[in-house]
Amino acid sequence: MSILKLENLGYSYDRQKTMVLEGLNYEFEKGTVYAIVGKSGAGKTTLLSLLSGLTTATTGKILFEDKDLSKIDRYRFRSRDVGVVFQSFNLLPHMTALENVVLSMDISGKGQRNKKEAAMELLIKVGLTEEKANRRVLKLSGGEQQRVAIARALSYHPDIILADEPTGNLDMGTQDEIIGIFKRLASEEDKCVIIVTHSPVVAESADAVLELAPLRSPSKSAS
Amino acid sequence: MYILKNAWKSISRSKGRNILIGIIVVVIALSSCIALCIRRAADRAREESLASLQITAQISVDRQAMMENARDQAGDSGGHDQMREAMQGADELSLEELQTYAQSEYAEDFYYTISSSMNAGGDLEAIDTSGSSSSTSSGEETTESSQDVPELPEGMEGGMGGGRQQPPGGMGTEGDFTVTGYSAYEAMTGFMDGDSQLTDGSVFEADTSEMVCIINEELAVLNGINVGDSITLTNPNDEEETYALEVIGLYTTTSTQTFQGGPMMGFSTATDPANQIYMSYNTLKSIVDQSEANAETETDSETGMELTTALRSQTSGTYVFSDVESYEAFQEDVRDMGLSEEYTVSSSDLNAYEQSLVPLENLSTFSTYFFLVVLAIGGIILVVFNIFNIRERKYEVGVLTAIGMKKGKVAIQFILELFMVTFIALIIGTAAGAVSSAPIANQLLSAQVTSQQSQVQQQMENFGGRGGQGGAPQDGGAPDGGEGVPEEPEGGFGGQMASYISDINASIDLTVVVELIGIGVLLTLVSSCAAVVFILRYEPLKILANRS
Ligand SMILES: Nc1ncnc2c1ncn2[C@@H]1O[C@H](COP(=O)(O)OP(=O)(O)O)[C@@H](O)[C@H]1O
Ligand SMILES: [Mg+2]
Repeated sequence: MSILKLENLGYSYDRQKTMVLEGLNYEFEKGTVYAIVGKSGAGKTTLLSLLSGLTTATTGKILFEDKDLSKIDRYRFRSRDVGVVFQSFNLLPHMTALENVVLSMDISGKGQRNKKEAAMELLIKVGLTEEKANRRVLKLSGGEQQRVAIARALSYHPDIILADEPTGNLDMGTQDEIIGIFKRLASEEDKCVIIVTHSPVVAESADAVLELAPLRSPSKSAS
Repeated sequence: MYILKNAWKSISRSKGRNILIGIIVVVIALSSCIALCIRRAADRAREESLASLQITAQISVDRQAMMENARDQAGDSGGHDQMREAMQGADELSLEELQTYAQSEYAEDFYYTISSSMNAGGDLEAIDTSGSSSSTSSGEETTESSQDVPELPEGMEGGMGGGRQQPPGGMGTEGDFTVTGYSAYEAMTGFMDGDSQLTDGSVFEADTSEMVCIINEELAVLNGINVGDSITLTNPNDEEETYALEVIGLYTTTSTQTFQGGPMMGFSTATDPANQIYMSYNTLKSIVDQSEANAETETDSETGMELTTALRSQTSGTYVFSDVESYEAFQEDVRDMGLSEEYTVSSSDLNAYEQSLVPLENLSTFSTYFFLVVLAIGGIILVVFNIFNIRERKYEVGVLTAIGMKKGKVAIQFILELFMVTFIALIIGTAAGAVSSAPIANQLLSAQVTSQQSQVQQQMENFGGRGGQGGAPQDGGAPDGGEGVPEEPEGGFGGQMASYISDINASIDLTVVVELIGIGVLLTLVSSCAAVVFILRYEPLKILANRS
């Protein structure tokens, strides 16, 4: 059984006038790293929003463990089953890095013990110092914020990890490290890792690649 | 609960904003606290004084209604005589009639008095009101009152104008003394109130018919009378008619005015508190009956009115009620029992009570409005403030919901933040209010009392009265003022100043605290409404997409 399955998935931001995605069929399995590639504007971020349950399919559907994602409690799904590294991080700027991570653990309601210690460990693992972990996010660089976002996505041990260009702001060394973490999560912890990237290096290291081609609107309304 | 933790952290992260909200709420809480304390104190004062109020009422001729009646009937043409006739036609109710109404189930008790005016006989000498010779003993107030009294010829002779308290059509002379007979001790209001006190001897039995009385100590001193001595009173219309009474007790009084039923207009020796002689109803009634039996009557050839030398007397009854409801029920009941519209039931206690509450009611009304205005303005400020606040926090809502926090919980967190701030501010405001409400309330109240007093003063001046005890034409200008309308010694224009409740205990109590908490909750909910609506309406994706 695949953990996520796209069935004839289509999506439009404006009530079907312009389709961003159309007729997508795909299956995502546990224990695998996927790379989603495509040109800018191809709909990669849109697909990730759909997979993370932030929005629902316009046509077709997404199945999460054989259940229609549009019909289940997506708040619960987002807080427990999926960890998202947003392209723009979506961290709370006035909180410290550590607080951001702990907040996610709180919201997941998974009742982990010693959340602070676990969160700190994770932040150090993605390359932040203890001093920076206690700094307000707004005073961290882009690369550091990206690490916090990654740590937050991993903090409550979701089965699915979605990452939107997670290595975009990282130097090569760190990029390798992060990819290493993702690969280990898939192979050792049986997670399903889906990474949006336009880096050929990252794509190459993935187990499978899904390429999105930009769509023209079927109704030809776009010029 | 992580929501609580989040809320708390969020508050401490944005101190400036929350201090501002706090200040607004402190101001609202402080002024609400004072306003509520005043309202509460006013309610309490009203209840307490009403509970302790013994309501008594009298039935008397309704001159106002009669005048109007007569005017209506007379039309435009020379109604004056008719009016006069109507006025004279109405007699006060007899004791028998008064007693019938006492049967009403609403009247708790009924007592009555008879009063008459008699002259000094034998060696007895009344206190001279016009001179200063009387200030020999007791009561400084009495002395004061004698000085206030304008000089009037003593024991004015005969004629219509003689004694204004005389019954209509009354000729006859006003005597030196006002003699009052009581059916029960309750009727002796001066003694019940503590204005008067027995200083020697004993009081008469309420139902005795023996020729015994009590007199003012001042009068006793002047005449060298001791308990056990005898005094002689005479009929002012017939000096030959004498009555001997044994003095069995002496009293003093602090009262500067005569009791109800006594004359209200004009001054004479008989109105001096020192010239009041008290006895039982039966005693005086027997004197009056005897006088009537002896009287010579003749008919005036000009007016066709009967003239008699009998002692003038006036009976009045007082009904006692356990509460206002009974009094009001009684008012209707007596109509059912057949009391004609020419008579009115009135309660001086209730009038005085209502009068005494005027400044307090004014203050209470004022503070209610003040409270509502503060609440409305404060509420609006908080709502506006929160709308701006939530727009600023839009992104936060987006992030929280994006990472799976339910909208409801986000809303609760925001409300909780506001509530914590409100609550802390409420405690501060309430504490400040608790300290300041009592003195502020009394200060405001005394200002109200002063303004009420000067307003009444002004009204009295407008009516030509001189404040204090002057007689103003409250009676609707009835030519021969009648028996000195017994009620309303302090109401109306001509009466004495009402005694206002001028001190309240506006300290905070549990009710006020509960009300303030209610206000806090209400303010929080109303002002976070905007936040809740916003949170519930927006989708996280839209918020986040709009940002990047
Ligand atoms: N919130 C939005 N509202 C309307 N159109 C959008 C929105 N977000 C993205 N799009 C459009 O959808 C298409 C796909 O965007 P996106 O998924 O962000 O592409 P990618 O992540 O592959 O660069 C683009 O044409 C973009 O203009
Ligand atoms: Mg994108």
